[in-house]
Amino acid sequence: MIVEKIPVNACIIDNNKTYVYGFKKLITIKNLSCQVTNFSNGSEAIVHLKNPLNTNNLPDLIFLDISMPVMDGWEFMKEFAEIKSQLGKKISIYMLSSSTDRWDIDRAKNISDVAGYISKPVDVCRLTEIFNSIDRRYPTA
Amino acid sequence: MSFSEDKFSDDSRLHLAQIIDNINAGIWEYNINTRNIKWSAGFYSVLGYEPDEIECSNHIFFEQLLYHQDKPIFLSALTSSNPAKPIQIRLLTKASGYHWFESTIKKHADGTGQFIYGSVININQYKQTELQAARSDQLYSDTIRISKLGSWEIEPGTLNLTLSKQIYDIYELQTQVKLTLEEAVSFFELPYRQVMQKAINNALEFCQPYDLELLFRTAKNNVIWVRAKGVPIINDYGKCITIRGILQDIDNNKRKGLSLESSLNLLTDQNRRLQNFAYIVSHNLRSHTGNLQFMVNLYEETELEKDRNEIFSHIKSISGSLNATIEHLNEIVKMQTEITNERSIVNFEILFRNIQSAIKSNIEALDAHIAYDFSKCPQINYIPAYMESILQNLLTNALKYSHPDRQPVIRCYTLKERNHIYLIFEDNGIGIDLERYGDQVFGMYKTFHQNPDAKGIGLFITRNQVEALGGTIKVESTVNIGTKFTIKLV
Repeated sequence: MIVEKIPVNACIIDNNKTYVYGFKKLITIKNLSCQVTNFSNGSEAIVHLKNPLNTNNLPDLIFLDISMPVMDGWEFMKEFAEIKSQLGKKISIYMLSSSTDRWDIDRAKNISDVAGYISKPVDVCRLTEIFNSIDRRYPTA
Repeated sequence: MSFSEDKFSDDSRLHLAQIIDNINAGIWEYNINTRNIKWSAGFYSVLGYEPDEIECSNHIFFEQLLYHQDKPIFLSALTSSNPAKPIQIRLLTKASGYHWFESTIKKHADGTGQFIYGSVININQYKQTELQAARSDQLYSDTIRISKLGSWEIEPGTLNLTLSKQIYDIYELQTQVKLTLEEAVSFFELPYRQVMQKAINNALEFCQPYDLELLFRTAKNNVIWVRAKGVPIINDYGKCITIRGILQDIDNNKRKGLSLESSLNLLTDQNRRLQNFAYIVSHNLRSHTGNLQFMVNLYEETELEKDRNEIFSHIKSISGSLNATIEHLNEIVKMQTEITNERSIVNFEILFRNIQSAIKSNIEALDAHIAYDFSKCPQINYIPAYMESILQNLLTNALKYSHPDRQPVIRCYTLKERNHIYLIFEDNGIGIDLERYGDQVFGMYKTFHQNPDAKGIGLFITRNQVEALGGTIKVESTVNIGTKFTIKLV
């Protein structure tokens, strides 16, 4: 069996343009093998995930900000729970926030679909760890 | 002792005298002709003396034994025609002060002369009880009057209603007309009438006591809060034989309680908003400073000139955002300090036209049609800076969220109802889904559309200004139809 690493397909949902820029830049600078798509709120991401054209290009990972207009992180998680069974792929979701509020952190940890909580900005080691945890093998023919 | 000689034999007279001496009553006799006075042995003993321990004389009686205030009543009994009614007088006893006595006075004439005679019986204990009862009665009726308390009774079988006088006072009925149960209940205000009826039914049927605070409309059309309390009285078999209860006017206290409650709610609201404000400010500031730190780290990580330029442009934008956040903070602090400013007469039309001309280019760019009508209430006593801010926020808000497919139409007008002044703002904009965002509309940094101008601060400030001066703001909206803000200014 030939195993070849392919880039992680990640997506970041955050309306803060500076943060999204920084997040992508960090990955480039650190040479992490990852391609990043971004959405400025939960609603846009849901539309993308539900689109049948994207079935073969679904992300492995989602980094989800909490406070956003139109559809915030909490509302996204509710919607996601409803559509995840139709996606045909396991997606790990990490919640992302500058909030240090215990209440927000506990609330995130209590959502079963949330894999973890990341405090903004972001720790490179943590990011590397998360990327390494993703199974990145080509499906063998 | 001298008694009429013709009726009694010597023996029986003696016997009678003995009886008289031994009963707990005193007998006296006064000979009008001789001015001679005699007291029976009982007379001495009811006053606590041995016979002849004190001198038997008119002088002693009137000046020492009889209480001075009772002299007139005694004298008038002496002179009145027969048969005089028994009178109540106070006599000084040997050892225990004045006691109450009942005295019966009779006049009599025979061959030996004209006599007045009488009896004194100690009624002190009875009199004390009577006085105490009268005092209790007085106390009871005073208490009832002071506490505005009426009592009533319902007889289960006939539903016959018995009401105390105070009930009629609470009902403000002039005469004590007989009321049926239904009539009595009809004085309660509508939503409370059913509550009252149900409580009475439950008491009658299931022996359930009740204690309610209800709104009541008196015969003179005064609406007051009353407390209605009822307890069933049961027989040996546990069946209700009477419902007894009270009705109390608690209007004063209840209204104080209600106003306290509403102040408390207002305070709780304000406190919650302050907490929310602190949370949001700290969150926002932290998000900016976090980004700043992020960019500075990246700047250090990279060597590429192109990257560094990009990163620097982001640092500049963070600096701008930080500045904006601080400005918002400043606006809120300013609002808090302006509340101590004096109110003065604000003319709606002048102010509104000023604001319109200040954002003229904005209005023209959207080709917005703006109509106002302040004729119902042209001016108000308000903090001018607040009114300017309220009008400006609502107007820019209406423009910001105008519908892209049609000409924006904005209507602003005032209304006067009872003692309140209302400011109404209507637009035909994109509207907002209130079912989804209802209570967040006036929250800080809450934005609901992807409008790049949305800052989520305007309505937060507007609401705080309105409420700081004791008003309220309400919003009604339909998505794609428009939004209406109704502000009760005072």
